[in-house]
Amino acid sequence: MTFFSLANLKRLFMILAVVAVIAVMTGTPGSSTASPTTGVHGSFLERVSWFGLFAAPRWLLFMTFGVIVWLGVSLYRPRARMIRRGIDTVLAFPKELTTKRSTRVALIVVALVVVILLPKFVHESFWMYLIVEQIGVWILLALGLNVVVGFAGLLDLGFAAFYAIGAYTTGWLTGALPTPALFHHPIPTLWVIPIGILAAMVFGVLLGTPTLRLRGDYLAIVTLGFALIIDDFVETQSGVTGGGVGSAAVPHPALNLGFWHFHWGITPTPYYYLCLVFIVIFIIVFTSLEHSRIGRAWVAIREDEVAAESVGINPLKYKVMAFTVGAASGGFGGVMSAGLVGIITPGLFTFQVSVNVLVLVIFGGMGSIWGVALGAIVIQTATSYLDNYQPWGYQINDLYMYIGALLIIMMIFRPAGLLPSRRRAREFAAAEGGEEIHTDEVLTGEQP
Amino acid sequence: MSDQVTPDLIIRAEQLTLRFGGVVSLRDVSFEMRRGEILAVIGPNGAGKTSLFNSVTGVYQPQEGSITFMARDAAPLSVIGKKAHQIAQAGVSRTFQASRLFSALSVFENIKIGAEDHRGIGLVGALVKGPRTRRGEHQSDEVVIDLLAFVGLKREANLIASQLSYGARRRLEIARALATGPEVILLDEPAAGTNPSEKLELAVLIRRVRDERGVSVLLIEHDMKLVMSLAERLYVLNFGSVIAEGSPTEVRANPVVIDAYLGSSHEETKA
Repeated sequence: MTFFSLANLKRLFMILAVVAVIAVMTGTPGSSTASPTTGVHGSFLERVSWFGLFAAPRWLLFMTFGVIVWLGVSLYRPRARMIRRGIDTVLAFPKELTTKRSTRVALIVVALVVVILLPKFVHESFWMYLIVEQIGVWILLALGLNVVVGFAGLLDLGFAAFYAIGAYTTGWLTGALPTPALFHHPIPTLWVIPIGILAAMVFGVLLGTPTLRLRGDYLAIVTLGFALIIDDFVETQSGVTGGGVGSAAVPHPALNLGFWHFHWGITPTPYYYLCLVFIVIFIIVFTSLEHSRIGRAWVAIREDEVAAESVGINPLKYKVMAFTVGAASGGFGGVMSAGLVGIITPGLFTFQVSVNVLVLVIFGGMGSIWGVALGAIVIQTATSYLDNYQPWGYQINDLYMYIGALLIIMMIFRPAGLLPSRRRAREFAAAEGGEEIHTDEVLTGEQP
Repeated sequence: MSDQVTPDLIIRAEQLTLRFGGVVSLRDVSFEMRRGEILAVIGPNGAGKTSLFNSVTGVYQPQEGSITFMARDAAPLSVIGKKAHQIAQAGVSRTFQASRLFSALSVFENIKIGAEDHRGIGLVGALVKGPRTRRGEHQSDEVVIDLLAFVGLKREANLIASQLSYGARRRLEIARALATGPEVILLDEPAAGTNPSEKLELAVLIRRVRDERGVSVLLIEHDMKLVMSLAERLYVLNFGSVIAEGSPTEVRANPVVIDAYLGSSHEETKA
């Protein structure tokens, strides 16, 4: 029996170490006033009751848990291939279904019906509100960043910039900022939607043209720069943006067609539908772009920029295009959020927002529109739930710790994301197999 | 220097010098390529062959000298200072020493990306899918189907590029380069890493590229048998300079070339 082989004992040790970390993560927090060891002490020695059945110190519970996991892994490993083959045969049927066009369409129709009827099932306006603000807007942001990161392969760490531009354009044009509105004539929030989208796109071109000549890490650093600049600008330029206070007076959108008036007001359901319509539009636009000449040029650049140039693709032009297109949905997210909440504060556009959007894209599956949307729904739902119910001693400050752990697990077991795009999954597989990885041998050396 | 352009030339490079910091990669290299010929550049490792290719295709920018590309129906194009994609659009296509396919895409998609016109495309055009866009799609699909047959990858059309054998990848690269509709194609060691039978197939394919498609071929190759059987004219590079030029038989007999290839042992026999 390989149970007590050295490798397996090593594995037990590793699992116990991870479990110890989890015990600290979920345990009593330390505080500045108490003794510094409170946290560790509480995490391990505190007696907790298990569903009211029995009480035991935490370390005992966690260690038992670790040993059970270890036993499971030890039993699984010799049979891994058999079990995996079994899972594959079970999954083969639904997998085949989703590759068929007719079933895909049926799935989309079902999903659409569910999301249209969703407000009928969610009775609490608080949750409806969260669905729009925490899920809807974030789906928009994730879809936009997916074009940049997933389609064109550009690592953008400053996507919140476009979100901020959408929101502050709304504030500016509706007269809610200290800066007077354009021509001193505030316009209704609803009409800001196209202008906000356009403004974000213009900024996409302005920011993209000089910076997208850079590649890889360098680009990531420059986009990080955008995020920090925007963050700083909205915080400190109080004469223009309202500074740290921001603006609390963005009017809610209203539609006035003469014969028919509609005011979005404070109930969240109308915003839900507005958001839904735009999410559907963006999904349609991005999907058809993905399958157009432009989409193929993006893939070419993402896979091998030198080869793409050799067939006549101008990388800069297509990268700026990706930046601009992605900015559009980010900009709309900003308008949406400002119109819904009525408040614009710099806290909404921090670097953390950019990182969070990137997490949604990576988690959902870079380059996969449905994956990214699903990723946004899953993570944002979980976050909202955790924030509002705070189960199992969860604390808001711990959020990124859990997200970090989640991403690590994802990268190990499902690196291409929750619902990976087929092309991306192949790229990951190729990279894993060590195939087709070439250093940029034609580009080494200094250029004058 | 005369601006007079000899009608049957397709590429003329004059006194190219390419430096990377203190390292001189090309020194005073001049060459002429005639329309419709198969021209080869040979030389020992590190002689500057790939640097020369990268200079002609706009990947590197030589500090001195000039390269002129004379397309059939266009004004002569001065290559230096142009971007790689502009040169590709003008009609100079290439393959790479280490194959650079889009390895997660299918064989069909790889060629299609080459066949598509990447100039006059806007966001709106790609989205609306009007008659012009659809006609473009149709045209590039036809180019792809034609090229699949030409390089013999028809049955592999839906395979992923990384699933292909080495020789098939080489042919796919040539097909992708041809898809751009070039007047001259630069092949950087097209037979590297292939087995003898694949090598033979490639030689046949390269000759057909010129004979059936009318595309001039500039070739870098290490396999002497292949070069000697294919090329009509050769340039020999060593340490970044052209040391010999001429037909295969002339070059083979040239003592300078033998020196460069056999190096010290040859000198020892002399001494």
